[in-house]
Amino acid sequence: MSFQDWLFSFHLLFAATLVGGLVMSWIVVVALFSTDGADETLGFNRVATIANIAILLGLPGTIALGIWLAILRPEFHPWDGWIIAAIVLWAIATAAVFRSFREYRKPIAKARALTAAGSSGESRELALLNRSAAGLLFRAVGSLAIVLIVIDMIYKPGA
Amino acid sequence: MPEVLAAIRPAGQDFPVLLHIVGATVVFGALLASVGSLALARGQIRMFRIGYFSLLFVALPGWILMRLAGEWVYREQGWNDVPAQLQDPTWLRIGFGVADWGGLLFLVALAIGGVAVVRMRSGKSGAGLLKVTMSIAVVLAVGYVGAVWAMTGKPNYGTASPVQAATTNAAATAVTVTAREFAFTLSKTSVPAGEVVFTVVNNGKIAHNFWIDGKATPLISPGESTTLRLSLDGGRFMYVCTVPGHAAAGMKGFLTVR
Repeated sequence: MSFQDWLFSFHLLFAATLVGGLVMSWIVVVALFSTDGADETLGFNRVATIANIAILLGLPGTIALGIWLAILRPEFHPWDGWIIAAIVLWAIATAAVFRSFREYRKPIAKARALTAAGSSGESRELALLNRSAAGLLFRAVGSLAIVLIVIDMIYKPGA
Repeated sequence: MPEVLAAIRPAGQDFPVLLHIVGATVVFGALLASVGSLALARGQIRMFRIGYFSLLFVALPGWILMRLAGEWVYREQGWNDVPAQLQDPTWLRIGFGVADWGGLLFLVALAIGGVAVVRMRSGKSGAGLLKVTMSIAVVLAVGYVGAVWAMTGKPNYGTASPVQAATTNAAATAVTVTAREFAFTLSKTSVPAGEVVFTVVNNGKIAHNFWIDGKATPLISPGESTTLRLSLDGGRFMYVCTVPGHAAAGMKGFLTVR
C-alpha cells in the first residue's frame, strides 16, 4: 500500500467512525424519547458520550485527510465543485451537531440536579428536555448534511 | 505514483456502493451502541434491552442491506467475469469473510441475547448472557474496522505483478495500448507468438492499469505511460484493467497470438 492508499483508508475509517457515531447517537436519541427518569437519562448519557467521542474524532479526521488527498491526487483539486460542496456541508454538519450537543446537555444537567436532590424517579420536566425538539432538529440537520456528503463523495458530480 | 484505487468508478455502480456503505455504517454504529449500552448498563434493565434491540432492529437490517448491496456491487464490477487469476483478491476475501462469518457470529449473538431478554422478562438474570452478546459485538466491531481498512486500502492489490524490463529487440512485437474510460484500444489485436512489448498509454482522466497473462502494469496516472514485456505462446489472451469495476465497464478484450 502506498502512502496515499493509507491516507485514503484512514480517511474512510474516520468517515465510518463519524457515521457510526451518528447512528449510535440516534439510537440514544430515540431511547431518550421514552425516558423520564434521572438514572436512565444519565445511563444513556454514558452511551452518548461514546457516540460523541466517535463524532468528534470523525469530523476533523475525515475533513483533514480528505483535503490532504485532494491536494496530493493529480485528478482532484481542493477547488473542485464537489469538494467545495463537501467542505460547506461539513461546516453545516459540524455547526448543527455541536448545537445539538448543547441542547442534549440540558437534560443531563437536569438529571444530575435531580439525582443530587435525591430524586431518581420520573420527572415531567426531564421528560420534556429528553424530547427536545431543538436537539432533534439540529441532530437531524447535522445527520442530513453528513448523508449528503456521502452521496457527494460517491457520485462526485463533475469529477 | 498514486495508487489509490476505485475512488472513481463507472456510474452504474454508484447506487449499490452507496447502499453497501450505508448498510455497513449502520451495522458499525449499531454495534457500538449495543456494546456501549450493554457495557454501561450498570444493572439497568432498560439499557440492557436497548443494547439488544440495537442489534436486532438496527444492526440486523443494516447487515442485510450491506450484504445484499455488496453482492450487487460484486456483480456490477464483474468479479465473476474476469480471468481466474484475478478473481477474489485478498481485500475482497477479507470483506466477504468478515461479512459472512461475522454474519453467522452475529446470529449467534442475537440468539444468546434473545434468550437473555426473555429470561429478564420472566424475572430471571440474563446479564451474563448479554455479556457474551456484548463480547461477540466487540469482536464484530473490530472485524468491521479491519474490513473497512481492507476494502478501502486494498492491500497487495494492483501492483503485485511487476512490470517487465522494457528493453526492445528486433524479435519483439510492439503493441501500443491506449486506455481511457472505460475501454482499451490496441494497435494490434493479433500478434505472432514470442516476445511482445506493450506500451500502455493512459489517455483517460483517472488511473488505469493493463493486465494480461498474469502480468500487470502498475496503476498509470492520467497522461502517463509505461511498458509491459512478456513472452506469449499461441492462443487467445484476455486483457483487463484490474481497477475494480473497470473491466465490467468495458476495459477488457482479447489478444490473439498466432
